[in-house]
Amino acid sequence: MAAVNLPTEILPTHTMPSRPPRIAIVGGGPSGLFVAWHIEEQASLPVDITIFEATDRLGGKVCTPQFSAAAVRYEAGAAELYDYEGVGNDPLRELIRGLGLPTVPLTGSAVHMSGRRIACLDDLENAHGQEARDRLVAFDTWARAAMTPQEFFESGCDHATMACPPTRFDDPLDAIGSPVARSYVETMIHSDLATEPSATTAAYGLQNYLMTDPAYMRLYRIAGGNEQFMTTLAARIAAKVRHTATVTAICSESDGRFTVTWRSADRSNDETFDIVIVALPVAALAGITFRDEPLAAAMQRHLTHHDHPAHYLRVSLLIDEPAPVVPGEDDYIMVDAFGGACLYVESSRDPVTRHGVLGWLLGGEAASTMASLPDDAITAAAINALPAPFASCRGRVLEARVHRWIGAVSAVPGGWQSLPVATRHRPSPTHPNLFVAGDYLYDSTLNGALDSADYVAGWVASTLAPMTPASRHATTDTAA
Amino acid sequence: MTSDPRPHAERSHDSLSGALPAGLPTAAAMHRRPLAGGEGLDLLVVPMESPAASASMTIDVDATAVTVILRDWLTAAADSRSAVVIPLYDCLVAWAPGRAAIGGPPDRLAALEIAVVEFATREAELREAERRAAVLLEAIDGDLATDESDDGRAREHGPALASRYREAVAIGRRLSLLASAVHAPPVHPPTLASQVGERLRDRTRLVERHELARERGELVERVAEASRQRALELSVARQQMGLEWAIVVLLVVQTAILVVDLLSRRGTP
Repeated sequence: MAAVNLPTEILPTHTMPSRPPRIAIVGGGPSGLFVAWHIEEQASLPVDITIFEATDRLGGKVCTPQFSAAAVRYEAGAAELYDYEGVGNDPLRELIRGLGLPTVPLTGSAVHMSGRRIACLDDLENAHGQEARDRLVAFDTWARAAMTPQEFFESGCDHATMACPPTRFDDPLDAIGSPVARSYVETMIHSDLATEPSATTAAYGLQNYLMTDPAYMRLYRIAGGNEQFMTTLAARIAAKVRHTATVTAICSESDGRFTVTWRSADRSNDETFDIVIVALPVAALAGITFRDEPLAAAMQRHLTHHDHPAHYLRVSLLIDEPAPVVPGEDDYIMVDAFGGACLYVESSRDPVTRHGVLGWLLGGEAASTMASLPDDAITAAAINALPAPFASCRGRVLEARVHRWIGAVSAVPGGWQSLPVATRHRPSPTHPNLFVAGDYLYDSTLNGALDSADYVAGWVASTLAPMTPASRHATTDTAA
Repeated sequence: MTSDPRPHAERSHDSLSGALPAGLPTAAAMHRRPLAGGEGLDLLVVPMESPAASASMTIDVDATAVTVILRDWLTAAADSRSAVVIPLYDCLVAWAPGRAAIGGPPDRLAALEIAVVEFATREAELREAERRAAVLLEAIDGDLATDESDDGRAREHGPALASRYREAVAIGRRLSLLASAVHAPPVHPPTLASQVGERLRDRTRLVERHELARERGELVERVAEASRQRALELSVARQQMGLEWAIVVLLVVQTAILVVDLLSRRGTP
């Protein structure tokens, strides 16, 4: 690009930093990568970004490893992505498209209850009578009235409005009036909810119910594994990445900057940054010490507001051939085992594989309880719980892998009382250059993580221009 | 559209259009259902008694054999390239233009039949619109060549263009009536009929075909309208030219008369 020669007197020299601003991003999961990507995209100045990741890989809960017994991939974390393009602008879909990653739609409508398959209203009526069908239809009608597709799309925004009552999710479930219809709804959404209905809001519960309706949202995956999204994104970020670097403390300095203390290979290190963005799940955020008292108090308030841990457990089974196939062309089925779990038929993702892959997704209390068991016990329970169509797979498991995602998401994203978006992302007004980002601030989805990252990056980009030592003092003093 | 409420056994004798494929269960029956536009649908109904129909998600061995028979029967149809076979839990739906087969537990067959006949009706209407649009499209080159000519062909072509324009508008009307069914959002919570209908719609790319047919109809409509306009302009121009020549002739005659008149007055005292 050719240089533009502006008259010297109109150059904003007073706003130019003497060196690129140093930015620390704590957490190399989706939120951290999204923040880095957006800052590099939006910043008008060169920036010096360092990502601190506690493990040896980036991508967090978007993880597609391989089995040892065969070179077959499986989704160990997020198995599906959410497509909102039917309702409005979907930045996540656009980002994936922009990265050139091919996507494949995911479908599934069968709920397996008490050994019977319920794939449609006719099945429900045949198995449990007209009343169960009518009650489910009534609940569905109520749910749509309580949250329109547009309200669903805008949930988490400052201007979001909806007719959904401010209660816990078990209240509308109780109102269904039919144990069978209630069980059907709970089984259908429990693994996505990752918590129990009494531990979350009616709005979040409804979101998880309505996401089964294509008018609200559609599911898709990335061909070749969802982790490709993270690796492709990471390859396009210029930020320095410190692997196996666990941030243990953050301290604000008198000049407005922050000292980040991190540990790697039993060695403790300190680094100073102009801006710090903490992009961690709430459970991991609690492990960081904030040494400055006002900052510690603010972060404690933030934690208290958002600390509603929800849990996942993934059990992936490698089956020898032939691969199981669901005749309904479904990529997953819901099963009433483990309080309601999802069974992904991952074999359908790779048409040339000679193996079958079945992936359990357990959520909520079942995931939390079972996570304390050894892998063998978890695997045995998962194999025993395979529904009838997959019974033949029980003796044909070549390898099983267990992944625990305890406290990885929020049961009440945004908190019981929704805070303004600005407050959610900047917990301490007196520390304007410390931000938090994460899916727990919106809706516990990758879309929410991207929205959060976009918001923080926009704010950071707008603050970068006036960031000189002098202006940093001024900003801090004004805020104080 | 509603299905015939009579049991399948009572209807099996209705206007049979062909022999049943060999190897099907004895309860299988075939009957012909009239569709819009004078087309008919040979519908093969195969009750499949599955002992654990509602508990199992897989089709049993016999059903697999039935699937092969139905696939062969479909591929014998006139346009077997469009054939789709959809196994849906314990049911089976197979369709090709003019032929369809449904298989499943007897209590599912009525819902399957409604879905298949509804789909076949829409598809037949769309196929007819596609055919008519294709015929019109072929005539476009001739229309474009004609409206560039300055001989009498453009004028003679006028009625044909008007007819094509009316036909294109009629196709557009039919397609717009179909649009609500073709673009209907998925039913939620789904019923068996809605699941079958949506899968058939997706597998036969009904939405894309509808869009293409509409675009073709609109193109023909635009070209026909433009050609008619051009023919009209040529016609008006010819009339204007004739009028102009008539005026010129009249002026010449008038001038000649004036000259004669002036010359005749010259000798008069």
